[in-house]
Amino acid sequence: MLALEVKNLTKTFDGIKAVDSVSFVIPEGSVFGLIGRNGAGKTTTIRMMMNIYLPDSGEVLLRGVKVGQEFRDKVGYLPEERGLYKKMKVLETLLFFAELKGKKGKAIEKSAMEYLERFELTDRKNSKIEDLSKGNQQKVQFIATILHDPEFIILDEPFSGLDPINTNMLKEIILELKRKNKVIIFSTHLMEFAEKMCDHLAMIDRGKIILSGSINDIKAQYANCNVSLNYEGDISFLKSLPFVEKINDFGNTTGIKVKANENIDDLLKALVANNIKIKKFDAHDISLHEIFIERAGKDAVTDPAAEMGDA
Amino acid sequence: MLNHRVISVIKRELKEKLLSKSFIIMTALVPVLMFGVIGFQVFLQMYNSDDAMTLIIASNSEELNTQVKNELSAEDFIKSGHYKIDYAVVEKENFSKYLDSIKKNLFSEKINGLIYIPDSSFKNKDLQYYSKISKNQEVFNKLNKPINNALINIYFKGKSLTEDEIGYIRSSVEFSSFRISSDQIEKEGYGNQIISFLLSFLLYLSLIILGQTMLRNVVQEKSNKVAEVLLSSLSAKELMSGKIAGTTVTGVIQMIIWLLPVIFTASTSWFMLPQELLFSISLYKILFFIITYSLGLVTYLGLFAAAGAIVDNDQDAQSMIWPVMILIMIPFFISISLQSNPGSIIGRVSSLVPFASLIVMPARIALVDVPVYEILLSVFINILTLIFVVIISGKIYRLGIIATGKKPSPKELLNWIKTSK
Repeated sequence: MLALEVKNLTKTFDGIKAVDSVSFVIPEGSVFGLIGRNGAGKTTTIRMMMNIYLPDSGEVLLRGVKVGQEFRDKVGYLPEERGLYKKMKVLETLLFFAELKGKKGKAIEKSAMEYLERFELTDRKNSKIEDLSKGNQQKVQFIATILHDPEFIILDEPFSGLDPINTNMLKEIILELKRKNKVIIFSTHLMEFAEKMCDHLAMIDRGKIILSGSINDIKAQYANCNVSLNYEGDISFLKSLPFVEKINDFGNTTGIKVKANENIDDLLKALVANNIKIKKFDAHDISLHEIFIERAGKDAVTDPAAEMGDA
Repeated sequence: MLNHRVISVIKRELKEKLLSKSFIIMTALVPVLMFGVIGFQVFLQMYNSDDAMTLIIASNSEELNTQVKNELSAEDFIKSGHYKIDYAVVEKENFSKYLDSIKKNLFSEKINGLIYIPDSSFKNKDLQYYSKISKNQEVFNKLNKPINNALINIYFKGKSLTEDEIGYIRSSVEFSSFRISSDQIEKEGYGNQIISFLLSFLLYLSLIILGQTMLRNVVQEKSNKVAEVLLSSLSAKELMSGKIAGTTVTGVIQMIIWLLPVIFTASTSWFMLPQELLFSISLYKILFFIITYSLGLVTYLGLFAAAGAIVDNDQDAQSMIWPVMILIMIPFFISISLQSNPGSIIGRVSSLVPFASLIVMPARIALVDVPVYEILLSVFINILTLIFVVIISGKIYRLGIIATGKKPSPKELLNWIKTSK
């Protein structure tokens, strides 16, 4: 079942195509990651999904119907650049944003108090937003995003600027929302987070989708003949081996692609024979980072047209 | 259009504005300030008359001196002792010698002034005033009438005129104004002029203050990024309507509070005004004023909101204020000029010109009886202007509020208006 379909969205600013014919689908109950570097077009795509930007062409369908106010009411949106009324009080702010979504009364106030309790902000409920620390403002912003119990939660770069504790808290809540069968859509340039959190994704680069689908399918497709390796020693000799197709060094982990499945054993043998200390050897595994680089090019200055192939 | 989202925005605006210190202070302070200015003027006048003066009145005859003395003795400023006047009889040919003798005292201001009434003044009424400060209107105003009376008394003495006749000769002409309206002729004082000025002033003040607040708020919402959060819940049109409606309600409440004294005076006899300050303004006119004011607020707030949406910092906002301010200021100056000539053609025309009508017509209505068709026409024009402004501003606001980067050129703006849905 598809919750949202993004079809051929295009947006041009000053003659530059920020988003170029972007399409992807988001299934019901999924945690969906929109992944790409800074400036790839993630925020523009999300803003078009939210109807904040009008697309030059293309459309977004909510369960088959073009998105409009109904979608706005069902969504909780956390923009990349957070914004609250500085002079408003914490609880007042939360209730105002919930009221905009059509939720008011005792129940929502109770729910707001519960969230404040959970985020350790109960004693600040009557403080003005401007008197809170930046971290606390972010917490308030996040509560405002989910307080009205939306079916869809759209988070634009939710982890940027969060300290480790808040990052963990946010992850926990995302997983909790997932268990409640909400659709969670977030954009990020942090591959590791996307890898851990989402079950579906779309990779965007220079305004175009270069890859999309379920993370398992994608990995299965790309992990074949790939080895994820952690080691100590010098592996430069691998380059000369005939069955090694490609070596991607990410510092921590190295991705090695071999020509055929049976070459994986050859690779392991060669490593042992050359006295490389192996810490991790994952056959048929590949990180999102590797896939992204394979699709988008390592340094982002290569000819984009060549990378876009079957996107 | 008035759905729960717009109402939420209106509620927030009202809460933020009506309970804000600046609103309460402004609402209370403006009347205090206005009465304060009037009171200060009165005080200044009173203070002036408190200036003590020592004067010498010199003439060629004892008789004239006595007459002047008689006339002056009835005046308050003599009775209270603020003006001390000595009298001197000086022969015509000795006057320059006499003047020399007291010159030192005049210069040191031991004596503030010397008034010389030569006998020739029975022909031409030319008097001379010698003083260190020789252009003292205060002195001239105070002494003009008594001295004139004294001259007249002596001049007509023995010409067998009765007291009444002399009284008639002494008096000068006075104008009483009568205002002709469709159903009656009524005597008019300065009251309506004051009311007209008051209404123009309040209108101007309120449009400028609320307009600038609107502009600042829009710029803030844009620069602190709350706009994007809001737009995930409601459309830009709903947001703008809510903000304008909230501010308009605030403005109308404030205006009604400001006008309460006028409304009470017009509708009850609680306040007794002196005859010359009486004004006739019907409650219909006040109602018309408040309606026009509301239309004007919506119109100008729309312009200010669009101006705010174009920029994203306070400095750029300052440069956006001016075009809108000029649209308020020019009509305001026309309104003020109406005080001296309420029937002027420029007033008539501008009260039917878009934007100007919002400010000039209320001032005109307080001053003269404007034909009903002109009033209806102006309301019609105002509503058209409002619709036009709201549509155009809505388009600019819609795109401006989420635009980033440098402010758009006029050409780009035009493009926004064309492309925005």
